[in-house]
Amino acid sequence: MTQNNLLDTVIIGAGLAGYGAALYAGRFKMNSVILSRDTGGTINWAHIVDNYPGIPNIEGIDLADKIKEHALKFGAELKLEEVENLQKEDNYFKVKTDKSEYLTKTIIIATGRERKKLGIPGEEEFQGNGVHTCAVCDAFLYKGKTVGVVGGSDSAAKEALVLAEHAKKVYIIYRKDKIRAEPTLYEKVMETSNIEIINNTNIIQAKGDGRLSHVILDNQYNGSEELPLDGLFIDVGYVPLTELARTIGVEENENGEIIVDKMNCTNVRGVFAAGDVTDIEFKQAITAVAQGSKAAYMAFKYVNTNTKPS
Amino acid sequence: MAEVIVYSTDSCPWCRKVEEYLQMNNINFDVKKVDQDREAAMEMVQASGQQGVPVVSIDGKMIVGFNKAEIDKALGL
Repeated sequence: MTQNNLLDTVIIGAGLAGYGAALYAGRFKMNSVILSRDTGGTINWAHIVDNYPGIPNIEGIDLADKIKEHALKFGAELKLEEVENLQKEDNYFKVKTDKSEYLTKTIIIATGRERKKLGIPGEEEFQGNGVHTCAVCDAFLYKGKTVGVVGGSDSAAKEALVLAEHAKKVYIIYRKDKIRAEPTLYEKVMETSNIEIINNTNIIQAKGDGRLSHVILDNQYNGSEELPLDGLFIDVGYVPLTELARTIGVEENENGEIIVDKMNCTNVRGVFAAGDVTDIEFKQAITAVAQGSKAAYMAFKYVNTNTKPS
Repeated sequence: MAEVIVYSTDSCPWCRKVEEYLQMNNINFDVKKVDQDREAAMEMVQASGQQGVPVVSIDGKMIVGFNKAEIDKALGL
């Protein structure tokens, strides 16, 4: 069913960038809707966030809820609908979801990114039976067991620290010579006695009988290419979610991220982007919210100077 | 009305997302905490064939993860 009123902006994605945009769109009295399949975005998976100003030491999902509550206070409406299609008309856009269709003068893309798969044999077969992607969800299964984390990012280090609270032993398996977690996290990992890092090593297969029992490494570790693991948590980076943006001609860089200028405008008039989906180098909660606010400001300016209600 | 059970843990973000989605659609549901209730954990593993959370049971149909399309289909949303 098409909603007949022409909105000022549709924000696609209810992560921190989307909330930042919604907060400012609301304060600018823009008629706006946030459309998203779910809420919170990638911050949901951060066990503890301790670098967001004014709100120290908070679980990621609680930080997301706090910012959501604040953002929606100013009038933007959140609808849990999945956007399926975007269409550019002369001076407005059509946004089709799994439930409805919206007409809007501007779009703010804050679709974020999703986790990459490792792409090894056994990864799908043992999903939920030894292979996982969310330590805060499933760490409780591994009390007193041995687990591995694949990856070397901040996020992989955080996953390892969560698992270390439950498991007997946690291996971080990383393809390069040193994990690239920020210094504070790196220090915590190094100080945690049940975490061990295996550098310069890839996992090439997950094996077991009905559930994961071990992985095969491309290098020997302690004289063997087989590493017995009860659980394997995969955290090897992200893929930006740009499929929708691409359909209306939004440009991406070589990493598939949306190219934005310093005020979060894309190459398409009336389309703005914010957060992890963009080519911003420093992808953090604080930068996502800030980008969202700039995108809303530019959408507000655009609506007031470029469009006439049709 | 469908019988809906969410198998979850306190710290699981996807579990909270599933619960939020059901609440926003005015669906009544029960929650079973599998990290605190061994019987519920066994029930979930047996019926879904895996150990990860969340799992949503809708009239006995087990949906693993937050699979919005499958939940919508099972509940006619």
